[in-house]
Amino acid sequence: MIWQQLQSLAGSYPLALRGLGMTVMLSLISLVLGTALGFGLGILRTGGNRLISSVIGAWVDLIRGTPFLVQIFLIFFILPEFGIELDAFTAGIIALTNLAACFICEIVAAGIRSVPTGQVEAALASGLSRWQRMRQVVLPQAMRIVLPPLVGQYVLLIKDSSVVSAIGLTDLTRVGWLVVQRVPNGLLVFFLVGVGYFIVCYPLIMLARRLERRMGAAHGEVQL
Amino acid sequence: MTNPSPTKTGMIDFRGVNKWFGALNVLKDITLSVEPREVVVVCGPSGSGKSTLIRCINGLETIKDGDLIVDGQRLGDPATNMAQLRTEIGFVFQSFNLYPHKTALENVTLAPIHVRKIPRAEAEQAGRDLLAKVGLADKVNAYPSQLSGGQQQRVAIARCLGMRPKIMLFDEPTSALDPEMISEVLDVMVAVAEEGMTMMVVTHEMGFARKVAQRVVFMDAGAIVESGTPEEFFSAPKTDRSRAFLSKILRH
Amino acid sequence: MLENFSFRTIIEYLPLFGQGLITTVWLSALSFAGALAVGIVLAAMNLQRSQLFRIPAKAYIDAVRATPLLAQLYFLYFGLPRLGFVLPELVVGILALSLNSGAYIAEIIRAGILSIPRGQVEAGVASGMTYVQRMRLVILPQAFKVTIPPLLGQAIVLVKDSALLSLISVSELTRAGQLLASDRFMPAEGFITIAAFYLLLYYCLKGLAGLSSRWLGLQPARSST
Repeated sequence: MIWQQLQSLAGSYPLALRGLGMTVMLSLISLVLGTALGFGLGILRTGGNRLISSVIGAWVDLIRGTPFLVQIFLIFFILPEFGIELDAFTAGIIALTNLAACFICEIVAAGIRSVPTGQVEAALASGLSRWQRMRQVVLPQAMRIVLPPLVGQYVLLIKDSSVVSAIGLTDLTRVGWLVVQRVPNGLLVFFLVGVGYFIVCYPLIMLARRLERRMGAAHGEVQL
Repeated sequence: MTNPSPTKTGMIDFRGVNKWFGALNVLKDITLSVEPREVVVVCGPSGSGKSTLIRCINGLETIKDGDLIVDGQRLGDPATNMAQLRTEIGFVFQSFNLYPHKTALENVTLAPIHVRKIPRAEAEQAGRDLLAKVGLADKVNAYPSQLSGGQQQRVAIARCLGMRPKIMLFDEPTSALDPEMISEVLDVMVAVAEEGMTMMVVTHEMGFARKVAQRVVFMDAGAIVESGTPEEFFSAPKTDRSRAFLSKILRH
Repeated sequence: MLENFSFRTIIEYLPLFGQGLITTVWLSALSFAGALAVGIVLAAMNLQRSQLFRIPAKAYIDAVRATPLLAQLYFLYFGLPRLGFVLPELVVGILALSLNSGAYIAEIIRAGILSIPRGQVEAGVASGMTYVQRMRLVILPQAFKVTIPPLLGQAIVLVKDSALLSLISVSELTRAGQLLASDRFMPAEGFITIAAFYLLLYYCLKGLAGLSSRWLGLQPARSST
């Protein structure tokens, strides 16, 4: 019976590849967009304008305080009521990008706040413009703090992309769900789905850990 | 003096002790005997192995070869109950290592109650007495974060005394302190020494050495280079390395 | 536009939302208790010297962290019956949340224990304490303090994750929103309402996390949500 199931599973491999491709594509696009947006928001969040900062803060809280599944439903089912017709893929990208941007915004803001004020004052004293201070002095130092959680956030993003299967996108998780209707061996099917995610995520987890150790060492913190 | 006859055992007896960190020979053929009630000051440049030397005595570091006999028990011997032996040895750390979640009194009574199994009331009475003795009767209920460095170190000394040890080891007890706090800690140490405690003290406080030490041991690069009375050592150091060391620390 | 937004329908469905909210709260609480148990066991294994304990614990933690909760949920939901365990969806859901959050909590506990300076261990050793005494009297009381804020952060994650249980038809809060969306074709009413309820839970837990770090005299928690 196992043999039969394996054969049947082997027949599903083009579907599985498509699912993996969808997962990678969703993650990659929203990762790039989310990083760009997140850095922008993070810089604005610490930029000194109280109004902008608190608006961003409120939005971030809204996104952090609600389940991603609910966010997807809101975007997919409610934006059309405002006359914005969306296919599931676009809805998924918007939801994931927004989610990533909000978390990355907070990571970047924390990194910027960690740079000692003396550094900004030194840059100010040597006549650098606001943008030059950010670009040449603050961001390079903030990156030490930002990089490890940023990579960790990418792992979360890839995993969260599985939730878009709920609006019918055929990603890796959805493929598992489709296959298991035909091959009734949930253990095997979702084990393989898990392997797919593991292959994508694990190297990133390792990278995040290494960065954390390196950055920790660079700060002279003692590792136990 | 550093080569006791094999039959005679001191309170602390190093016999040809070696220790490596990886390829680094941090203790080289250490032979040293400390008599009961003797106070030995160990000094030397940083990285000379002096801290490692005293950390071996209560087993915070393990030795590679040679014998280390403490209070008649050989370290590393299966018959030696290390936890039991450690209750006989007080250890004062450079960074105090007080328990931040416990008050001064609780720091002093924790091990007596849980390790020595002394009744709480009795341990607390003894603890109060000890804190009074180190001049901190009014800080009994203070947490370490509310105390100055000098006060913390005095609590740490009281914590050791609470176990009624036979030996006290001090690992640079004043080098993490602001200068104005050093003397309050040294005064307590002098008082402990004058009561006849066997002590090994890693320190550069030469005033303390002159006052209470019977012997000064100078280490460099993992070996004992010179050993003698404080008078001999300070007035007529025998080696170039000890002369260089002394000229450096006495300049401050 | 949302000109037809019907507060009346929301009021009408309020009992359903209320029930969903209550279910979400208690199933999250139960899962969190389960996750704590899983996390403590894993952390204890991971702190042993012996590879015999450490390797399985590390492998489990890595496997959970590198795969999505939804895939784990389906793994149990479609897989357990195959092993002969036919359990109610709710139980499968709680199990999945416990096993998933447990891996993260294990890392929080481990980090908490490792954050205690080496000197504390040495002070315990030097006064003749046994391993168990050092853990009980010196390390754990200090580690407990620093783990409270990140544990509350993990509780926030868990509450939000519990929304996925709606996908295996557990009648919790998100499921209530889905019902309103599909029965009355009112997705806005359904999903905006449950989003508000989740926010309520989020602010409660976040407030608690802030209070706890102030009580414990810690720096404001760097949120791990």
